[in-house]
Amino acid sequence: MSYQAVRQRLERGEIVILDGAIGSEMLRRGVTWEGHKGESHPDAIRSIHADYVTAGADVLSTNTFQLARRSFLGHFCNEEHMHHIGAPDLDTRASTLIHDAVKLVREARDASPRKNEVAIAGAMTTLEWCFRPDLTPSTDAMRAEYRETVQAFVDAGVDLMLFETFNRWLEAQMALEAANEIGIPAWVAFVPDWEGHLLSGESIATMVEKLQPLHPDAILMNCAPPPDITRALAELRRHYQGRTGGYAHVGRFDPPDWKFTDEYPPDEYLEVARKWVEGGSTVIGGCCGTTPMHIQALREGLLQPTRT
Amino acid sequence: MRAYERVRESLKQGRTILLDGGVGTEILRRGVYWRCHGMEQKPEAVEAVHSDYIAAGADVITTNTFQLTRRSYLNLYYSLDHMRRIGAPGLEHRAAELTAQAVALAQKARTKSKREVAIAGSVSPLNHCYRPDLVRPDDELRSGHAETTAQLAKAGVDLILLETMNTIREARVACEAARDTGLPVWLSFVVGADARLLSGEALADAVRAVEPLEPEVVLVNCGPPEDITAALTELRRHRKGLVGAYAHIGKYNPPSWKAGFYPGFSHTEAWPPARYAAVVEQWLEGGAQVVGGCCGTTPDHIRALHSLLADRQPIPA
Repeated sequence: MSYQAVRQRLERGEIVILDGAIGSEMLRRGVTWEGHKGESHPDAIRSIHADYVTAGADVLSTNTFQLARRSFLGHFCNEEHMHHIGAPDLDTRASTLIHDAVKLVREARDASPRKNEVAIAGAMTTLEWCFRPDLTPSTDAMRAEYRETVQAFVDAGVDLMLFETFNRWLEAQMALEAANEIGIPAWVAFVPDWEGHLLSGESIATMVEKLQPLHPDAILMNCAPPPDITRALAELRRHYQGRTGGYAHVGRFDPPDWKFTDEYPPDEYLEVARKWVEGGSTVIGGCCGTTPMHIQALREGLLQPTRT
Repeated sequence: MRAYERVRESLKQGRTILLDGGVGTEILRRGVYWRCHGMEQKPEAVEAVHSDYIAAGADVITTNTFQLTRRSYLNLYYSLDHMRRIGAPGLEHRAAELTAQAVALAQKARTKSKREVAIAGSVSPLNHCYRPDLVRPDDELRSGHAETTAQLAKAGVDLILLETMNTIREARVACEAARDTGLPVWLSFVVGADARLLSGEALADAVRAVEPLEPEVVLVNCGPPEDITAALTELRRHRKGLVGAYAHIGKYNPPSWKAGFYPGFSHTEAWPPARYAAVVEQWLEGGAQVVGGCCGTTPDHIRALHSLLADRQPIPA
């Protein structure tokens, strides 16, 4: 429903601003990493979303990174082992947390005067670890799990799916097929390496060729330092005339959380993002380490007023 | 080393040695932020966990080094190059630094206690302890375990405790690496409900495969108490040498973020110390000479075991 406004702007070739980081922003606000914290810190999470709306984001992503049944199952030897020694609700915990996360972002949007312009994207990453293409599950498993998880997002009320930090085209294919079957618009974002390939080493040209028949609404690059996103977007634009975009991370991944650095304050991040726009990209936001200030800088710096 | 001589002598005399309880779960239970195994925010809390186990009567305490290796960090990246490009500076050395810190904290607790407990350097599988399907190739296992055990030895542990080993293959390689340090080695397998390793391999085969490497004690750990009872019976049937056991209590409750090892256990209240001690008593009847607690157990559980042992074997003057 609310995706209409965003899609129309995309179709007119206008810039659409995606929000910034959720997980690292929780950390920056003193909410620790070990859970999505929708239950324990609903106000903190809702206010992150609200701050992104206020900063000018047109698309808000849910606080659901890495949430799928497998996220819990992967800690065990197999399903039987999980049922035997694991906490009793692990089978359904991901869908519960997805539901809670969507509720919080909807509340933030609906409280905003911009509520009719802002879309909610269900943020979903790879079923296994986003930086480990070697762990990609079998196609049968992916097909079933994407159907299940995307359905959970749709049932919870997202406007589109944002498949992000993907590392191989095959998994993106499975995810997009599930979204198409269910009938929800989808964007797909890949994490690139520093030489203009996907992190897996696969070529961007091949990825485009494989995904084009599935008609993603946008193809993006995310979760790499700004120069790597710049390089990957240039490569993507060479092979893809559709809608593209980027959102880079700022700082360093410092497991289990994030190390903030001053390498790309909002004004410098904006300068990099301008290059992405000059290259033809129209969806721009921020990944780990970026803040509402970064999004505000993008909004103010990239958007010309369309009518007076 | 002298600390271990006392343990070895006691074992030889047929006495039971008391291991500590959960370390990671106990650090978390005390509200410490789980980053760098809790040692960044509150090293003094980690030391206090060790102190409390010593005060509870543990003869052997284990270092806060479970799932702490170079690979623990590397596994979160595509490659070493990727880690260097997007990771925080110094991640390549973080496991080594934390290992040294973990041993130092155990030593500090021992020094303050004035009890000559032995310090066991805890070594777990290079990948997730519940995922035998992810066991690395032999050469990586060899270099990984050689590195970790050497770090522990250098930092001054009295023995190596290879714990929660889920495959025979990794157990063998880890055992060889641990032996190369010259320290005594204890080897413990994680078992399923069927008294087999989590890999599905039989304990009989595991014992046969590791006996030539002469671990001083072979144990089973990190299953629920009933499973450990069954596994211990099976272990005893196939091993003539020293055996031991330590179970987890409650339910493993992993975090929804996967960015690293997180020892969360819930529902532990179902196993108060007296109930746990009653099960451990069966293990003693079954021939276990090393007992303690795994995830979820606390100093109170170890205190209950200490009373149990005191009742069974009067402490010599």
